[in-house]
Amino acid sequence: MRSYPVMPNIYTETTLDMLLRRAKKPRVHTVEDYLRDGGYQALEKALNMDPQEIIEWVDKSQLRGRGGAGFPTGKKWKFAVQNPAPRYLICNADESEPGTFKDRVLIERDPHLLIEGMIISAYAIGANEAFVYIRGEYPAGYYILRDAIEEAKKKGFLGRNILGSGFDLEIYVARGAGAYICGEESALIESLEGKRGFPRTKPPFPVQYGLFGKPTVVNNVETLCNIPFIIKLGWEDYRYMGPSDYPGPKLFPVSGKVKKPGVYELPMNTTLREVVYKYAGGTINNKKVKAVFSGALDCFSWEELDTPMDYSPFGFGGTGTVIVLTEEDDVVKMCLKVAEFYAHESCGQCTPCRVGTYEQANLLHRIIQGTATEGDWEGFDFVNRFIQPTSICGLGAVAGRLIRQTMKKFPEEWEKYRKLSTESSLSV
Amino acid sequence: MLREIIYNFNTMLEEGLLSRLKEHADYFPKKEQAILMCLHEVQNYYGHIPQFALEEVAKLLGLPLNHVENVVSFYDMFDRGQPAKHRIRVCVSIVCELMNKDKLIKAIKELLGIDFGQTTKDGRFKLIAVQCLGACSEAPFFMVDEDAYKFESKEKLHEILSRYA
Ligand SMILES: Cc1cc2nc3c(=O)[nH]c(=O)nc-3n(C[C@H](O)[C@H](O)[C@H](O)COP(=O)(O)O)c2cc1C
Ligand code: SF4
Ligand code: FES
Repeated sequence: MRSYPVMPNIYTETTLDMLLRRAKKPRVHTVEDYLRDGGYQALEKALNMDPQEIIEWVDKSQLRGRGGAGFPTGKKWKFAVQNPAPRYLICNADESEPGTFKDRVLIERDPHLLIEGMIISAYAIGANEAFVYIRGEYPAGYYILRDAIEEAKKKGFLGRNILGSGFDLEIYVARGAGAYICGEESALIESLEGKRGFPRTKPPFPVQYGLFGKPTVVNNVETLCNIPFIIKLGWEDYRYMGPSDYPGPKLFPVSGKVKKPGVYELPMNTTLREVVYKYAGGTINNKKVKAVFSGALDCFSWEELDTPMDYSPFGFGGTGTVIVLTEEDDVVKMCLKVAEFYAHESCGQCTPCRVGTYEQANLLHRIIQGTATEGDWEGFDFVNRFIQPTSICGLGAVAGRLIRQTMKKFPEEWEKYRKLSTESSLSV
Repeated sequence: MLREIIYNFNTMLEEGLLSRLKEHADYFPKKEQAILMCLHEVQNYYGHIPQFALEEVAKLLGLPLNHVENVVSFYDMFDRGQPAKHRIRVCVSIVCELMNKDKLIKAIKELLGIDFGQTTKDGRFKLIAVQCLGACSEAPFFMVDEDAYKFESKEKLHEILSRYA
């Protein structure tokens, strides 16, 4: 096997020690390593089960999708199998949300865990063709997966009549090319069909009308990596891990002003405070935490550090991305970064989103430079009122969310800039 | 006459490249799915995506040229501009901003004398600003072609760049 520049220094500290058990060693795990650790035993067990029963187990395990929305995986699969074959399975490895780097670790360090999860999932939903769509900026992951799939084929875990079960499966790997929007499942499907990554209007949902118009299940890398454990342990034991409503391990990519940035595997009843202080070693130079950004989606203040890292309405939610800002950092300037991100990544299909995200970034730019007028300040509301209801996809729906949250939670930070613009308009 | 020869020469893809493109086309269940893979290959080979190569990709995959043009213009990684042998992609997203990406950008500018979007005079490097590269624990972060690096110091950066002839 070729060796690839695997990304350097990821701290992992696991209390559950499941998903990252192998990945925490900084090397690519070959099929031999994986087999030595009991790999592909879950597949053997699964192939002796009825596909219906596997779906039932996944449903009962209460596994929720780790791609951001937290949709129950078993429910999604049940919807898909209501529709006639052929069906497809797609692994979403587009991971491009700022601050998110959890899927990368699984792909680059433990590719066979993902492959085993995909084979079991494809068997359960009755798919004979499956795809991994990996972002263009993860070339190492692409080559590692291609090699690992070849290894799995040689061992009879992929291809025709897998382990004598009569089940056939091919897994194809496709690379993206620098478009965050292709992480949105319907845009991903369009891209995988060889087109521009424009999200589709829903309904119909991918489980009804997906790749080439056929029923398609799209699941995140981390979601699929949980499947072998559910099969191996049984859904009852799996549910013992973590809090009863949100079982299973969860990966949290932690970055920003912490002493030990990295990916952490923790149960979902961990609080944000524990993630930052107990695991990530606290902040650099012990500065006070000012804010935590959950990617470009949500913002939490110092007062909210006891938020649980789960999918409850008041939980941390999302992809589990933790970006720590301290008292030294400027929340408004970071909002500009968020605004620039959305402006850059809007696919441009809906005019309000294309123009609105661009205007939002411009407004922030003026506010930070102190050249904003009273009308500019009102602009935010205006922009958001128009983008949200007219968006085809979730990007437009959340483009102003974090920024508006910071206005509520950090009014004093914004007040600084309001003063600045009033002063500069007086001096004109 | 000379112009014609050059023109003809330039309308053909080199053997090795063509066979790699064919491999991608054969790999997927439907050959049009190979479009992004083919464009990646073309760009790695030529340092950008020249017009004639677009036409060849369209022919190979049985797609109308305007479809291929549409796709190329949608995806950020594809470059129809000036060719460059190596692409330096610097993350300018939230975490790298927090972790002082400006030091990295300053060091690159000093070493190469180019700004974002520009290519060095010798055509060796192009500097590109990108959104989060998914390696935020290692911020400030950058990539050179397919290799990923954490920025440590100007000296280390110099040493890294000197590996790319
Ligand atoms: C703008 C946008 C970007 C997204 N990016 C990703 C992504 O990079 N990776 C991912 O797994 N899901 C992403 N999603 C969520 C997917 O649409 C989809 O819900 C997910 O892949 C389903 O997998 P899961 O059920 O396993 O979570 C994104 C959604 C939106 C609206
Ligand atoms: S909401 Fe924005 S990103 Fe989503 S489809 Fe419309 S233009 Fe594209
Ligand atoms: S923000 Fe720079 S790599 Fe993620």
